[in-house]
Amino acid sequence: MLKIEHLTKTYGSRKAVDDLSLHIRPGEIYGFIGHNGAGKTTTLKSCCGILRFDAGEIFIDGTSLKADPLGCKAKIAYIPDNPDLYEFMTGIQFLNFTADVFGVGETERRERIRRYGDMFEMTESLAQSVGEYSHGMKQKLAIISALIHQPKLIVMDEPFVGLDPKASHLLKQTMREMCGSGTAIFFSTHVLEVAEKLCDKIAIIRGGKLIRSGTMEEVKGDDSLEEVFLELEDDHD
Amino acid sequence: MIKTLFKKQMMETFSWLYRNRKTGKNRTVGGAVAFGLLYLGIFAILGFVFYGMAEMLCQPLADVGLGWLFFAIMGLIAVAMGVFGSVFNTYASLYLAKDNDLLLSMPIPPSKILAARLSGVYAIGLMYELIIMIPTVIVWFLRYPAEGWTVLFTLLIPLALSLVVLTLSCVLGWLVAAISTRLRNKSAVTVVLSLAFLAGYYYVYGNAYSMLEKILSDPLGAGETAKRVLYPLYQMGLAAEGKPLSMLIFTAITAALFLLVYLVLQRSFIGIATANRGTSKPKYREKATKAGSPDSALLRKELRRFTGSPTYMLNCGLGIVMMLIAAVVLLIYRDTVSEILALIPGGFGEVLYLMAVGAVCMMVSMNDISAPSVSLEGKNIWLVQVYPVSGWQALKAKLKLHLVLTLIPGLLLTAAVEYVIRPTLWFVLLIPAVTVLYILLTALIGLLVNLKIPNLNWTSEIVPIKQGIGVIAVLLGGWALVAAMGGLYYALRSILSPLAYLGAVAALLLLADALLLRWLKTRGTEIFETL
Repeated sequence: MLKIEHLTKTYGSRKAVDDLSLHIRPGEIYGFIGHNGAGKTTTLKSCCGILRFDAGEIFIDGTSLKADPLGCKAKIAYIPDNPDLYEFMTGIQFLNFTADVFGVGETERRERIRRYGDMFEMTESLAQSVGEYSHGMKQKLAIISALIHQPKLIVMDEPFVGLDPKASHLLKQTMREMCGSGTAIFFSTHVLEVAEKLCDKIAIIRGGKLIRSGTMEEVKGDDSLEEVFLELEDDHD
Repeated sequence: MIKTLFKKQMMETFSWLYRNRKTGKNRTVGGAVAFGLLYLGIFAILGFVFYGMAEMLCQPLADVGLGWLFFAIMGLIAVAMGVFGSVFNTYASLYLAKDNDLLLSMPIPPSKILAARLSGVYAIGLMYELIIMIPTVIVWFLRYPAEGWTVLFTLLIPLALSLVVLTLSCVLGWLVAAISTRLRNKSAVTVVLSLAFLAGYYYVYGNAYSMLEKILSDPLGAGETAKRVLYPLYQMGLAAEGKPLSMLIFTAITAALFLLVYLVLQRSFIGIATANRGTSKPKYREKATKAGSPDSALLRKELRRFTGSPTYMLNCGLGIVMMLIAAVVLLIYRDTVSEILALIPGGFGEVLYLMAVGAVCMMVSMNDISAPSVSLEGKNIWLVQVYPVSGWQALKAKLKLHLVLTLIPGLLLTAAVEYVIRPTLWFVLLIPAVTVLYILLTALIGLLVNLKIPNLNWTSEIVPIKQGIGVIAVLLGGWALVAAMGGLYYALRSILSPLAYLGAVAALLLLADALLLRWLKTRGTEIFETL
């Protein structure tokens, strides 16, 4: 579903991502971990077409992001670490805006807004202005808006930050359900316990370079993910 | 402790002098001094205007023994100016201060926090009030000798008068807070109130001299009325003439007023500072929704951003109201306008049509909706970048909003103008054509400048709206362009008829629009997509 080939992105003279390659198949939950400034967000943003990259290729469902960015974006949902949404809209206006942009029909959107709104206990608040929402509510709205067009690939940057325990649990459950229906999920996190429990595969990035990737068993063996991560960090110091 | 609080409050109140609001960084010493001098210059210009007014009033009133009325009138204007200048500061610093929670968590009595906050409001009110009171006192002492208590009292009066400003600002600030937090559709209410305020301001401004002339034609009658209606200012006027008892009465009245407000605020300060006074939260009820296209969704988004922000509407869409008002006024007073035009010997001929289209374009320039629209995406820019819409689609929505909101009033105004001036057939076609092309040009220039110099890192939308170069470029540049077009006609009048000239202008505008549109679709779109 997502194929990253030799991705390189530089800011000035600094290489934020250096020759990174990854392959995420349909139905996989792929965790992306690394220290602050390792290049996680740059990679995720490049996959969504927010950032243009200097070298390499990204394919979404077999289509080159460079060749057909709009076609690729129609299959993606992105949830950023800080959900800056349109504060001048109400929650429902924002969801309808997203649905219109992704061409979601009236019946489907109504059903999905009801389902995910109820699931994340947001339905009652949808008439409020987004500007009045707390960080957690904005995060929930961003998640609902990401699910409204039933994307084939969900890219998330620290999706659990700001969520209450119940919403966090529901998101994990939803991620599993989405994967069950063939959606691929690529997300970054600093919470290694969550990555360990939730992910099918994991990639560790350091200084823009991929230092290990594979199935959870391949990456951590008999150790905990935290031990492996810290060991790899030390090795590269 | 109170000294530290006062110092913090003064630093906060006057931070506009030494801190760049756009970057959030402190200015250099030279920059701060230059900025201070700039403001001083502006205040001096305003002071000269009020000096002229004081000159006009002083002698006629003093000659009939109504020197106090002179001070009372100028004092009244000073209070109005002070309140005008400090009411929004009161609202922000008293009711919306960001450090209320921090200060209330510290071992500081709330009364001291309140006193410090009020000192900031007092200082701002005094600053604005002095713009009028300094020329007032100068005019007085240039005509009458400075003797006895007069010198001391005229120095003390502005300080006491500022307590009146402070009292009124606190009350009005509370009203502004109530309006902006309790009303649901506060954007519309704020715009209506601001327009009403502007209308009131221009009414008073337009009638100020006739009001003053009325006072001067019957000073004794005006004095009697002032004594009854504005008793504190009557005592203030007498104090300025050197009467100690009046100074005492005036000070006592102002101090009592202030004390009353202070006590009320002190009792309710913690409640005001910490209460969530928002409206009851609306609950969503599912309604039938109609799916729309991505383009219409983007346009609706732009419209919601515009109508959701009073600052955006008032600063970039004032032309809508002005054009509609101008159209209505033209239709109502069409006979008067025709009579005035008929009085001009020989008439303007076809040049009148050029002047008319120039005037319409000047008003069109007051709408600069597209100019800050890219910057206004701010931290939300990722949304249009990650959604399956092209940069051109996003820019087209911004362009469309500008066009829709400007074309309708612009063409209504053009129709009203044509109805009044009755142009010949070719001009009937060319005047609206030039107007439409000019509207497109202003919309395109606004987007071009904003794409070239975007600011997505603002914390307050005031920054891209009021300080954006695009906004200034469209407003002032538009006026300059119209003036230049006028000048060009004057230079070419011997070789080009007004009709040929307007046709040439239309052709030039068409060419400029086509080039800019092409740039926007290619390079502009690329810039937007990589912002």
